[in-house]
Amino acid sequence: MKRKSPKAADSKNRAVNERPGGISQWSIAWRRFKKNKAALGGLFIIGVVIFMAAFDSLIAPFPPNDISGFYKGEARVPPSWDHLFGTDKLGRDIFSQVVYGAKAALYVGFGAAAIAISIAILVGLFSGFYGGHIDNFLMRITEIFLVMPFLLILLVFLRVIIVLAPSGIGGLSVVTLMIGAFSWSANARIVRAEVLRVKEYEYIDAERALGASERRIIFRHVLPNVLHVIIVLTTLQIATAILVEAAVSFLGFGDPNTITWGQQLQNAQEAVKEAWWEGIFPGLFITLLVLGFSLLGNGLRDALDPRLRE
Amino acid sequence: MIKYIIRRLLYLIPLFVGILILVFAATRMAGDPVRLMTGLNPHITAEAKQQLREYYGLDKPLYHQFSVYVWELLHGDLGNAYAIRGGLPVTTLIGQYIWETFKLQLAALFLSLAISIPVGIMSARKQYSKLDVSVTTTSLFGTCIPIFYMGVIAIIIFSYYLGWFPPFGAHSLFAERYPFGNYALDELWHMALPTAVLTFALLAPVVLLVRSSMLEVLRQDYILAARASGLSERTVVYKHALRNALIPVVTYVGLYFGSMLAGAPITETVFNWPGVGRLFVEATNRLDFPVLMGITVIITLMTLVANLITDLTYAYIDPRIRFE
Repeated sequence: MKRKSPKAADSKNRAVNERPGGISQWSIAWRRFKKNKAALGGLFIIGVVIFMAAFDSLIAPFPPNDISGFYKGEARVPPSWDHLFGTDKLGRDIFSQVVYGAKAALYVGFGAAAIAISIAILVGLFSGFYGGHIDNFLMRITEIFLVMPFLLILLVFLRVIIVLAPSGIGGLSVVTLMIGAFSWSANARIVRAEVLRVKEYEYIDAERALGASERRIIFRHVLPNVLHVIIVLTTLQIATAILVEAAVSFLGFGDPNTITWGQQLQNAQEAVKEAWWEGIFPGLFITLLVLGFSLLGNGLRDALDPRLRE
Repeated sequence: MIKYIIRRLLYLIPLFVGILILVFAATRMAGDPVRLMTGLNPHITAEAKQQLREYYGLDKPLYHQFSVYVWELLHGDLGNAYAIRGGLPVTTLIGQYIWETFKLQLAALFLSLAISIPVGIMSARKQYSKLDVSVTTTSLFGTCIPIFYMGVIAIIIFSYYLGWFPPFGAHSLFAERYPFGNYALDELWHMALPTAVLTFALLAPVVLLVRSSMLEVLRQDYILAARASGLSERTVVYKHALRNALIPVVTYVGLYFGSMLAGAPITETVFNWPGVGRLFVEATNRLDFPVLMGITVIITLMTLVANLITDLTYAYIDPRIRFE
């Protein structure tokens, strides 16, 4: 199977159509995806947030921790043209903080999903492909991670790490690593089920008869055929990771040295009554970004499902 | 059947021990709990620290501490708290808080099921209608809003702006503030906002689940056969289809029932609710390891039992499922 970015494939659609091999799976998927308005909307939201993160210092009118507003008597002022989203008790501009928080949200989302899905792929592939004792052993471990109270154990680990390293080595990276390390189990099960399905196909038998090594079969033939599931799982896992990080920060177990939307919401807790704007805007952005990834994930699921044909 | 249950129970033991080891490792990773407990107090002598260590059995090797913990656990003893409420037994402590948590979660679970099943069915029966589109859109949105954000918005609107409900806590401090001087009404009044938020958070995924599974079932041949044999639409949907459509919902509710306490820290922090979740956050902040281990153990046990009950419920709903 040729791996091509969907966009590139689409622009060459005509040329591809004339090729003897026919059009690639990716361009079929992209064509279907394009018709899905909700999924495109999700992609748009994600694009906006990535733009915010990439050009944060250009977009944000104030530096993230600028408290000069405090000395001008602009502490906890409601939204206005000077401060689009208002300011907090130290006179920091909420809009600027929201802009700077975009990078943290994306970092945790992509980072934690990458870790979780990598573990899930390895566990799922080996468990599904080899079966027997390996499968049994890996699935028991998966079950432990599936059954345990995820959020509680995450909080304990994060708190203990804060105690171990008071200066906060890594900070946000530790939070990302922990979320990733604790959220692979459900994904691993889905990958395993998919591998079990693919494993039974004739082309795998054919490959084996041709004398291909197990490694080649797993990585060249099984993996590409479960890739569509993995892409969808990754997108949805990004959404979950962003939600979990927000919750963890909200409870005060996040990285205190990074501005995150969850942390902004936590800070807003002390003045919900006086200053509604402090929490409303960061929370809105969490919701929008999570919605963006959910819509994208659902759209990808519909576009990539090989059982749905045009 | 009984054989199956026994086998499942035996099978749960290694799972439970695995989780216990994980939590135990997390609490011991930070090193000596006594050092953490007394770190802020410069007046404690080395002898006093040693006494504390001996008192809590922390001078013994780790495997010994773990087996003592398991042994006491088998006798229903979760140890004494380090810091919270002057070292009360953990079981007593949890007993004081757990009812407040259950009250909230069960009310929300009940309400959300009562709403989501009929709404999901209606949505599935009129697929792509205006009603269906608005239900699915709202539900999708509902799954994306963090529950604490929903809580904050609810507090701003209904407590501060409209002034209908109290924003925090589970009870009024003084009897004079009870609505109509009634204690039960006061309880309900405080419950209203957190229950509503939790209900909405639970509602969204269940509605989507009921809808998609109903759609799947309604497409099957036996439904066509039932319709062809002239049964009324009501009988077809509520008697023949619903039973099968509810299987995934049972799974979801079973899993939720087990893990509902695990999500409690977030809701209870937003509404300052005196439940197990907030106790857990406090215990984590103060590194009160016996308390947080105790809560984790209870939640894990609940999850495992709920999973078992879910599996058994399957057979009741769907006679095709047999226990091997």
